[in-house]
Amino acid sequence: MKYIKIYFSCLHTAFSRAATYRANFILGNFITLLSNIIFPLVTVLIYANGAKFPDWNMWEVLLIQSVFSMSTGAASMFCGSILWVTMDHIREGSFETVLLKPIPTLFYIVAANFDPESIGLFLGGLVMTVISALKTGVSGAENILSFLLLFLSGLAVISGMYLIMAAISFKWVGNSRIPEIFDSIKSFGKYPLGIFPRSIQVLSSLIVPVAVIGFFPASALLGRPHRTAFISVIPCFLFFAMGIWIYDRMIKMYEGVGG
Amino acid sequence: MNYLKHKLEECKAVAFVTYKEWSAYRTHSLVSVFVGPVYFIVQYFIWTAVYGGSGTLGGMELEQTICYFGVSALIGYLTMDFADWNLQMLVRTGKFLTFTLRPMHHRFFALSQKIGHRVLGFFFEFLPCFLIFLFAFRIDIIPKEMLWTVISVALAFLMNFYVNYCLGMTAFYLVQAGGVRVVYQLLAQIFSGALIPLSFFPAVVQKIMMFLPFQYTNYITAMVWTGNNSIGEMGLTIPQAVLYQTVAVIITGLLSEVLYRTSIKRFTAVGA
Repeated sequence: MKYIKIYFSCLHTAFSRAATYRANFILGNFITLLSNIIFPLVTVLIYANGAKFPDWNMWEVLLIQSVFSMSTGAASMFCGSILWVTMDHIREGSFETVLLKPIPTLFYIVAANFDPESIGLFLGGLVMTVISALKTGVSGAENILSFLLLFLSGLAVISGMYLIMAAISFKWVGNSRIPEIFDSIKSFGKYPLGIFPRSIQVLSSLIVPVAVIGFFPASALLGRPHRTAFISVIPCFLFFAMGIWIYDRMIKMYEGVGG
Repeated sequence: MNYLKHKLEECKAVAFVTYKEWSAYRTHSLVSVFVGPVYFIVQYFIWTAVYGGSGTLGGMELEQTICYFGVSALIGYLTMDFADWNLQMLVRTGKFLTFTLRPMHHRFFALSQKIGHRVLGFFFEFLPCFLIFLFAFRIDIIPKEMLWTVISVALAFLMNFYVNYCLGMTAFYLVQAGGVRVVYQLLAQIFSGALIPLSFFPAVVQKIMMFLPFQYTNYITAMVWTGNNSIGEMGLTIPQAVLYQTVAVIITGLLSEVLYRTSIKRFTAVGA
């Protein structure tokens, strides 16, 4: 109960901050949204040129990419700041100020750094998902429930990635390019899994389950879930748990200089 | 002659110092050795699936498109630039004052810095990725017209720099001009051909792009590199494309000088 109160208090502060600098908040949201909805443009151009992904029409592919944007936006709101906040504290040698707080370190960083600027991306993804879903004729409570389960699993994967990236920054100090590594891996989740060879399909379903970020939830919503979709829920939450474990272990590597 | 020799010495000195400075962060550059090939693999499978059995799309065959994405990544390593960020930071913090006192034009200093930075990029990003693309992925990535390719890469390098420098100068008017940078980067991502070759865009868009700077930083150079002798909607030959690129670079260079002379009058600092 105490932690819930702290979390909501931090949320209140984050929104108050956003309200104070509202022009920055609106512009930030708009830019974040724009920069993340570019990649569906490639899909539109591919189909406009008369080509297609085998067995997938344009709206179905756009649905995968919309769900991907929505997952990224949601995870970024809640956990996206872990990496940058941890990285900044380590580089500046001020991580002690976090370690001294009388609550778990990770909880404090997550709660105190809710990112309202990702709301635009989440809402944009949501709108695109609804439009794509309507165009593809999605229906059935069972499909929607499967979608929600896989969507939550996708959030676990992205959050796990943020945690692992933040953990790496304890060792690889100040490297702002760490996210590029994970962004490149995540890009396997933006397209129909069937276009990739079997080894990549297994890798992105079960080892680093990025297919759960966009492809699996979208295909479940379309009523044709991939055969490994539900099995991959387990590695998703294992991935998240591994992120927490690695982050906690790496905190011990922190060498402060007095804050 | 002495003037040129002196300028070359200045450029060499600044470039060398920048190279040494950034060498401390060479592992950051090495991230590209992982990221570049991974993105390439994704592109490879996307386009292999999309082409299916069809011969050409957007006027390009599958092999050409695959090669285009490899080349496009390599061009990015050779021409990468953040002169806009740097200049905006200097103006915002007032540190630009120290440059106004130096007997050297700041743009020339920034260009020399970029040369040093990209020499490092050549060794730690371009060369490893070039070898990976050539030997691991077996792409025919050797330039077809070596001389035209070298000229085109040099022009793309200058184009990227001049455009970014012009963007950086918005800081003299807006102080915090990060939003302008992001919007430009967004447009550049789409219209430079980094996401998809411009030949996939409608003909009218391709024609408009001839008058905008984006394609001269990537698309034209990638097409010259891959030896395409009928570039874009206008079906430009390689020499014609390089000529267009040269004209675009000269215009942008002149524009940056005009902007600099106008903008510098607005600069105020408090002692840096």
